Amino acid sequence: MVVRLGKIRSMKKYLNIIRALSTSDFKLKYYGSPFGLLWSFLKPLLMLIILYVVFYYFLGMKVEHYVWHLLLGIIFWNFFSDTTKDVMQSVNAKAHILKNVNVPPFIVIASTLVHSFWTFLIGLGVFLVLFFAFGMPFSMSMLILPVLVLLLVLLTAGVSLLIITPAVRFKDFEHIWDVFLQMLFWITPIAYQYSLVSPPYLSWYLLNPLTRVLVEARDAIFGAFPPLAPFGITVLIILLILLLGVAAFKRHGRTIIEYL
Amino acid sequence: MIEAKKISKEYRIPHEKPGTLFETILGKERKKTYETFFALKDVSFKTEGGEMVGLIGKNGSGKTTLLKILGGIIAPTSGTCTVSGYVAPFLGLGIGFHYELTAEENVFLYGAILGMARQEIKEKLDSILRFAGVERFKDMKLKHFSSGMTNRLAFSLMSQTNFDVLLLDEIFAVGDKDFIPQSLAVLENYKERGKTVLIASHNTGLLARYCARTLLLDKGSLKAFGNTEEVIREYNTL
Repeated sequence: MVVRLGKIRSMKKYLNIIRALSTSDFKLKYYGSPFGLLWSFLKPLLMLIILYVVFYYFLGMKVEHYVWHLLLGIIFWNFFSDTTKDVMQSVNAKAHILKNVNVPPFIVIASTLVHSFWTFLIGLGVFLVLFFAFGMPFSMSMLILPVLVLLLVLLTAGVSLLIITPAVRFKDFEHIWDVFLQMLFWITPIAYQYSLVSPPYLSWYLLNPLTRVLVEARDAIFGAFPPLAPFGITVLIILLILLLGVAAFKRHGRTIIEYL
Repeated sequence: MIEAKKISKEYRIPHEKPGTLFETILGKERKKTYETFFALKDVSFKTEGGEMVGLIGKNGSGKTTLLKILGGIIAPTSGTCTVSGYVAPFLGLGIGFHYELTAEENVFLYGAILGMARQEIKEKLDSILRFAGVERFKDMKLKHFSSGMTNRLAFSLMSQTNFDVLLLDEIFAVGDKDFIPQSLAVLENYKERGKTVLIASHNTGLLARYCARTLLLDKGSLKAFGNTEEVIREYNTL
């Protein structure tokens, strides 16, 4: 297929479509619900209360600034789990567009990512406002947060690209993914500290890129720059997943239209 | 200009389609059998720039598959095609419309999907709504629109899109007695502006009126390409 009008023009067109799709998704998500946008705060807040009560009161989790650890964990986790679920759902929901207009599937994936990213940024913004409002100190290491956020986005993008083909081809993939997310939630130190994990398992445990990004983000919030070597490993693992995702999608992504 | 060189599209018809992962795992035990089926077979043709070409054939003859390949939506199994300029496939009206959004929001969404810039849509918004006759309802959700209004809005947007090559799939049977002449006027206008248009239709009268040449597909093969009236006669004998 040759369309000789320059890549720039089509890139611009794609950006337009991504913007339009993510704007309308954002609107649709909150249309007709009385609390509207408030849900994007309410959901993590309710999750926070449940986990806090269970871990702090019932199980006696004694960690300094536990509530901030927990809230940051929930915000990072929600971005990852909501985006991967939304990507599968929105490719199915936009099947009629993909099958009839020359909008390539990666546009739909990108627009879902953009739309979830806004919600995530709002959540992170609220987190920081509350953090300072409650008198927690600013530290220079917080300046590395944007890099960690970028890593989280790249990881989520990579995983989304990896799962989209099986998600379209096999109807039960969504159930499998739900269970997988449950597992991932508990093997990621969201509600607890990774230092509680027994040493023999720790080296395996720390292979989870979500764990690494979250631990480094928490450190950054509380004034510690991540050491260079472990940070390098985080970057490496995430880039590897992203490359795998891109390769899988390049190979199979075009065929998903025929399975929709 | 559209040039197709030996385009084929092959689909597999499995005798037992594995739909779920579980079935696929079980299916490994069974022998996989499938037939191959050519939706298109060795289709080659070339149209001139600024030409309106008809596309005719019975249901299931491969018309939509051909339009999808030319529009870059699906890839052919073999063969190549070259379409010069910006291609706009219209394989159905109102694709991309979201019924929970208002008419105006839908214009922005659908317009972007059709490749229009936001600024361009803003400038054309009024004329799009006016042409569709739905200015008063621009803040109403599309789900409250009648299907005629929705179709008119979609057609109106289409008529405002900039493209070099337009691929149309049977979308003229929409609208009431007042709107059909309006939509034909749009087609007339494309003709005057020298746009390349490929129209798939069962409406032989329409093709005879607008297209000098017509393609005839039958069971995936190109049966004829030439003078519309002769091709229609051949189609009628099929």
